[in-house]
Parts: sequence; structure tokens; C-alpha cells
Amino acid sequence: MEAGVDDAYLVRRAQEGYLDAYAELVDRYSGLAYRVALRVVGNHHDAEDVAQEALVGAWQQLPNFRAQSTFSTWLYRIVTHRALNRVQRQHPSNSLDVIGDVADACAGPAVRLERDLMKDAVTDAIQALPPAQRITVVLHHLEGLSYAEVAAVTDSSVAAVRSHLFRARRTLGVALQQWR
Amino acid sequence: MSGSNHEVRRSYFSDDSRELACGALVDEVLEQVAEGDGERLNDHQQHCPHCQAAITEFHRVWSPFRRLADEPVPVPRRFRASVMHEVERLVHDVGYTLQLTDQGAIRVASRVVAAIARGVARRVPGVRFVLGRTTQSHVADLIATATGGRRHPDSGVGVLGRTAVIDLAVAVTYGEQVHHIAHEIQRRVKAELQNNIGLQTIAVNVTVDDVLLAPGDHPG
Repeated sequence: MEAGVDDAYLVRRAQEGYLDAYAELVDRYSGLAYRVALRVVGNHHDAEDVAQEALVGAWQQLPNFRAQSTFSTWLYRIVTHRALNRVQRQHPSNSLDVIGDVADACAGPAVRLERDLMKDAVTDAIQALPPAQRITVVLHHLEGLSYAEVAAVTDSSVAAVRSHLFRARRTLGVALQQWR
Repeated sequence: MSGSNHEVRRSYFSDDSRELACGALVDEVLEQVAEGDGERLNDHQQHCPHCQAAITEFHRVWSPFRRLADEPVPVPRRFRASVMHEVERLVHDVGYTLQLTDQGAIRVASRVVAAIARGVARRVPGVRFVLGRTTQSHVADLIATATGGRRHPDSGVGVLGRTAVIDLAVAVTYGEQVHHIAHEIQRRVKAELQNNIGLQTIAVNVTVDDVLLAPGDHPG
């Protein structure tokens, strides 16, 4: 029944005070908020807090949203800022469970062990990156945002994004080569 | 981990090595692979064993990230409900219907009345979207604060005892008979609330304030 209603329509109605319009936006973007938060902060508990704070905060900030960007870009910005605040307040955790717990019933014990090792290597490598590099890696390589989009989300320049990614990829390459 | 691969690793990523033996920049080749362009070799790379070895190695190194990007991240159960609970707490909806019986009182939150009304209205053919909210003044004030005063003036649900006044704002598909849709919304919502909640006096005000093209249709 709600097919064809775009984000701009829902944002406009939510700005007018319709909670159910915002509920529809939450339905659409809970996955994005939670996924990005998890990959930046590194654990499910903090990720859930960050994602919830971001979505509730977005509701409170809706009057300031002027549709100069898309709702998703705006939400990326809110989530990454709050996630950055969270990681800067906490000590790095030992586990960055960013892949999730999706079981592969077909995989044998050796394959699962291999994947667990790989998962640990990837998550540890991401966790070890400085926060700014971590966010650019998450937004570009995991979320698929362009350099320009990452720059818009992080209030930086394309050149700065490119620089962060160059350094991050080298660091990640070292970490994963040593693991393999 | 083989000995030969170990040698390759040291040569690619040691701090003092920014170039392959052929002079190609390590970071640029790694970027090429990370951006998914590792299969598109330039003229030099097509004939350079150093570049080809590096690209092969970087494919292996980067493959966990590709897998990570493709891996679904399930949202925790109840997450959406938890978010909306917090949002709704901000506007503090406290309206309830009241029905006194021999066994005691039955109260139904006005937001439940609103949810049922919206659910019924959404199922009416031709309806594309339905919105509604409470009209209690303090709630409206909180919403106005949260939204900078930009709110719809005439849509909501008011309940008192077994009486309900329901305002619904709807968007319909262009080309449908608007008055027929509005009448059908009123009829179905009234019947549902009488049967489901036991309300007696029900007014259903329908405001058709948007007309949307059918999915797949484009202007012009």
C-alpha cells in the first residue's frame, strides 16, 4: 500500500509531526544505522545504543533537515558522528564482531575455523585503524559510498578521504598479510 | 603461509617500499584491486610479472573485505520498536478510551485506536498512505517543539469514554474516485472500531491531501 512513497515525502510529513511517517523511515533505515554503528564501534551492545541514539536524535533534529542532501546521507552523518564519539570515549575491545553470527550450515569444521580466523583478522585489523580511517573504510569499502559522498558525510574533502583510504589500505594489507 | 609468499609480503608492505620492482606504486595497485578494478590491466600490467603477482596477492589480501561488505548484518529484534518507543516517549501520548463494565474498566490507548484506524484505511483500494496522530494540546505542543512548529493542523485521534474522533490524512492514487475512497475509509474504520474496541460514537474525518502517481507511472 505504501509502495512508491519516497523518502522526501516521508521526511516532509515527519517534519509536520506525523510519527508514523517517521516510523516508516525507521523501518527503512534501521539496517543502515545499525550496520554502520556496528562496524565502527565494534560490538553489538554499543552499536545498538549508537544506532538508537542516532535515529532518535534524527527525529529531534528533523526541523534542521533542509533536504540539501538525501535522508540516507544525513543519517550516515549522524550515525558516524555518534559512533566516533563513542569509540573516542572507550578503550578498544578485543572483539569486533562485524560480520555477524550468520551460520553456514553447509560449511564443515575446517571451513568454519578458517572463516572464524579470517573474521578475527579482518575485525581486528579494522578495529586497529585510527577512527577517521576506520570510518572512511566502512563508508567507502563496506557501505559503497563514493569518495564525494564520504567527504560529504564526514565534513572533509575528497583529497582527505583519498589520503585516509591510502593509509588505511596499507595498514590493513600489512595486518592481513601477516595473518595469511 | 609459504616461504615464497612471505618474501612477497615483505617486499610489498615494508615501510621503506612504496614501489614494486618495476616502479609501479604499491598503493595505486592496491587501490586498483580494492576498487574492484583488478581484472582490468593496463598496457604495462599486461606484460609485467611484478604487477601481476602483486595484483594476485592483493586479491587474496582484500577478499575478506569483499566478503564482509556482502555479509548481511541482522538488526536486533525489537530494535525498531525500541527506537519508536523512545520517539513516542518524547511526545508522551497518554490518551485512553474508557469503558466501564460490571467487571471493571477497560482502557485502550488512543494510539491503539489510531493504529487500528490507519491499518484499516491502508487496506482500502486506492489508498497509498495514511497518517494520523493525537490532537491533545500538550502532545501537539511537544510535537511542535520537536519539529520547529511545522506540523499538520487537522489530523489526529481524540478519545473520550466510548467516543472517538479520528482524523486521517490520506494520499490516494491518481485517477481513483476520491470521494468513493473517503466514504469507504469512513465505513470500514467505523465498523472495525465498533466491533474491535467497542466504541459507540465514532466520527471519522478524512482529509485527502495528496495524490500520487501509481507505482511505475512517470509524469509526462
